[in-house]
Amino acid sequence: MTSNVHPTTVIPSEARNLLAVRRRRFLSLGALVFLAVTPILIAQSPYSPRAKEVGMHLKCMCKGCDMTAGGCAHPGGAFSGPCDTAKAQLQQVDGMLAKGMSEQQIIDAFVQQYGTIVYVEPPKHGFGLVAWLMPIVYALVGLALVIFIVRKWYFNRPVAQPASGAAMHNEAFERARAQAARDTED
Amino acid sequence: MDVFGSFSLLLAFVCAVYAFVGGIFAIKTQHPLLIKSARQAGMATCVLIFISTICVEYLFFTDNFSMAYIVSHSNRDLSTFYKVAALWSGQEGSLLFWSTLLSVYVLSVLIAYRNKNGELMPYVGVVMAGVQIFFLTLNNFVENPFKTLAAVNASGALEPFTRMDGNGLNPLLQYPEMVIHPPNLYSGYTGFTIPFAFALAALLARYPGEKWIHLTRKWTMIAWCFQSVGILLGAHWAYAVLGWGGYWGWDPVENASLLPWLTGTAFLHSVMMQEKRGMMKVWNVWLVFCTFLLCILGTFLTRSGVVSSVHAFANSQIGPWFVGFIILTLLVCFGAYVKNRDYLKSENQLDSMISRESSFLFNNLLFLVACIAVLSGTLFPVFSEWFTNNRISVGAPFFNKVMIPIGLALLFLTGVGPLLAWRKTSADSLKRNFGWPAIVGVVSAAILGILGYRDPYSLICFFLCFFVFWTIVMEFYRGAKVIAARTGMSMMMAAHELSMRNTRRYGGYVVHFGMVLVFIGLAGSAFNSDVQKAMNLGDAMKLGPYTLVLQSADTKVEKNYTAQRMIVEVLKDNKQLMMLYPEKRQFQGNEQQAGTMVAIYSTLREDLYVVYAGMDPDLNVPVIHAFRNPLVKWIWLGGVWVVMGTLLALMPNRRAALGVATVPDVATDTATAPALTSTVTLREGHD
Repeated sequence: MTSNVHPTTVIPSEARNLLAVRRRRFLSLGALVFLAVTPILIAQSPYSPRAKEVGMHLKCMCKGCDMTAGGCAHPGGAFSGPCDTAKAQLQQVDGMLAKGMSEQQIIDAFVQQYGTIVYVEPPKHGFGLVAWLMPIVYALVGLALVIFIVRKWYFNRPVAQPASGAAMHNEAFERARAQAARDTED
Repeated sequence: MDVFGSFSLLLAFVCAVYAFVGGIFAIKTQHPLLIKSARQAGMATCVLIFISTICVEYLFFTDNFSMAYIVSHSNRDLSTFYKVAALWSGQEGSLLFWSTLLSVYVLSVLIAYRNKNGELMPYVGVVMAGVQIFFLTLNNFVENPFKTLAAVNASGALEPFTRMDGNGLNPLLQYPEMVIHPPNLYSGYTGFTIPFAFALAALLARYPGEKWIHLTRKWTMIAWCFQSVGILLGAHWAYAVLGWGGYWGWDPVENASLLPWLTGTAFLHSVMMQEKRGMMKVWNVWLVFCTFLLCILGTFLTRSGVVSSVHAFANSQIGPWFVGFIILTLLVCFGAYVKNRDYLKSENQLDSMISRESSFLFNNLLFLVACIAVLSGTLFPVFSEWFTNNRISVGAPFFNKVMIPIGLALLFLTGVGPLLAWRKTSADSLKRNFGWPAIVGVVSAAILGILGYRDPYSLICFFLCFFVFWTIVMEFYRGAKVIAARTGMSMMMAAHELSMRNTRRYGGYVVHFGMVLVFIGLAGSAFNSDVQKAMNLGDAMKLGPYTLVLQSADTKVEKNYTAQRMIVEVLKDNKQLMMLYPEKRQFQGNEQQAGTMVAIYSTLREDLYVVYAGMDPDLNVPVIHAFRNPLVKWIWLGGVWVVMGTLLALMPNRRAALGVATVPDVATDTATAPALTSTVTLREGHD
């Protein structure tokens, strides 16, 4: 198989031999011809970095990837980047940014358009607040319960008997040894 | 073969029903022959399930495209490797696979304890058969993998027909980890059936003492280990295949796998309270019940598509069956508890507020809060739809905000808990045990902060990681020092000897060390960066110290797919480092779906993660997306240590024969008896 490397390609000599060997296994013609005839294009992102930032707070509405519009990689799609839907959303964000809208206003506008499904995290008002409060409530109730249990069990403990000073009975010693072995095991 | 497989599956159902009903009669009558026949029916059930699974695999290998399941999930060009994995790629097959893995556990238990624990085993057999009946009902009557293709002929009758080729396997599943990730995860899910069966059986039989815990300890650890490995393999699959630069997206299916892991981990800790102090008997039984129910819930969420996600490719009618089974199980557990709760009377006493016991209570609290928070977050979109008719999405940012503080608190307890003594810990002991680890933690976090790792959560995480690491090192050092002094061994040999004498304790420390590594990796995610660029040949882009030059591209044609491959030269600080080859694959039979093969240059410091995203639809040139992900490798290394620690904990203890002597030095302040010395003679035994 010929080495169809584009004229502008620069491969360091130490890598060249390795590449040549590997390339024999591949049919490289199709892709390289395609790339060779591709005119040199100035790569321009169709949306701004700020739109991507805001897009991280909006869900991609393609219903196929369940990712954010800003972070859409669209697994399984022909293009592992923002899908057309995410791209359109980001361009829409750019338009809103140009109008001077804040991040929150943009999110609100998207909620108006798509409904609450467009949220990436629940809003901290209305029913969405419940989602934020739930873990706090669990933690507080759990903590109160544990403190209650620890106190209850602590006050349940047997009152220590004063030591008699007598020699330890064999049976008592064996019990103590078994308990010590259990206590120090883990 | 399809008829044979189908018949085996049906016969397995009949045998499971016999094992269940016969087992109940055997318990009532205590007739030895009935007990034996119920057990043998249980064994036959397992063997018949294996046979039907082999039949499905045979149909895959022989490209039998008269079968609906084979047509949907395979094609002639699919490699043998993936034909094995195709079994669990769809609804019917994965449910059969659940039954198969469950059968491995059930058969092992029935054989291992066939002549032991005579009072308990009939109950255990009945519970296990009950679970098998549920899954065999699904396998036989709801999602049968042996359905044949049929079409309506001219006379209006159904007529079987055979397709020339199948649709092929989902490209996202054509990756080596997909061959091992689901079996691991499913082995975790199914494995928790065994402690559940023993716990319920012990409660029903009013089986005395903590015997059921001793009997199920290794089964629980095996299931937990599989679940841990399954979760990590799933994360690695998401990292290496989905091409989004991350490994955990808080997808509902990922969350579903985490839920039983959290309660299972809580159980592994709290069970020690029952073994050592006779405490928390009710709690432990319910923790096992909940873990099993969460396994069923996890399978339900994965297979039913109730919460839509990237994994939920299987929407079907199995939901009501699962909900019914969960409710029924809950009722049985609750009924058994109400009837026999007096048997679970615990000796709940605490000698001190600062003790191992109280740390376990907080440990369990955190695991449970984490579990409920993940569960409620996962189901919140469903709840919001029910209550408000508006579905509110809950994504990764929510879970990160909620779970990071809980995770850090758990990491703190990982360091503190093991060094607190049972019953009571003195102030001196606290100072002695935690002084140096705290200093090491602060100094290490400060150094990392100076080096540029300045995210607050990450710095806290680094501090805790080094703190925990040093507590573990000190535990090994103290114990090994005592053995080395007494036997003259080197410190390394003494540490090995120490671990082998109490495999469970030191295996646990190794698992904790693995978790520290995982947390280091997670902390690195705060410093991820990426750049994406449409590139012509010869173009370069920079990402941190790396320069990526698109040198060339080619196409390779494999049996089952055609790949377009980019050849990217990587320079670091303007010196050539290596070549990376990210790919985009188009699979046969799945023209609408493409697969990504990410190229990763992975070091302990960071991963350079390069994705060929495809041709830019607007500019018509290749788009390269590169990520710089610090410390990711530590997560996978942590997984390896978790497995090694679990294997160590599963090994029997090599016990030193003990004799009383007047040696004052002890490894910890936990001993309440005179110091004990070991003689040179060692004997094997279980703890």
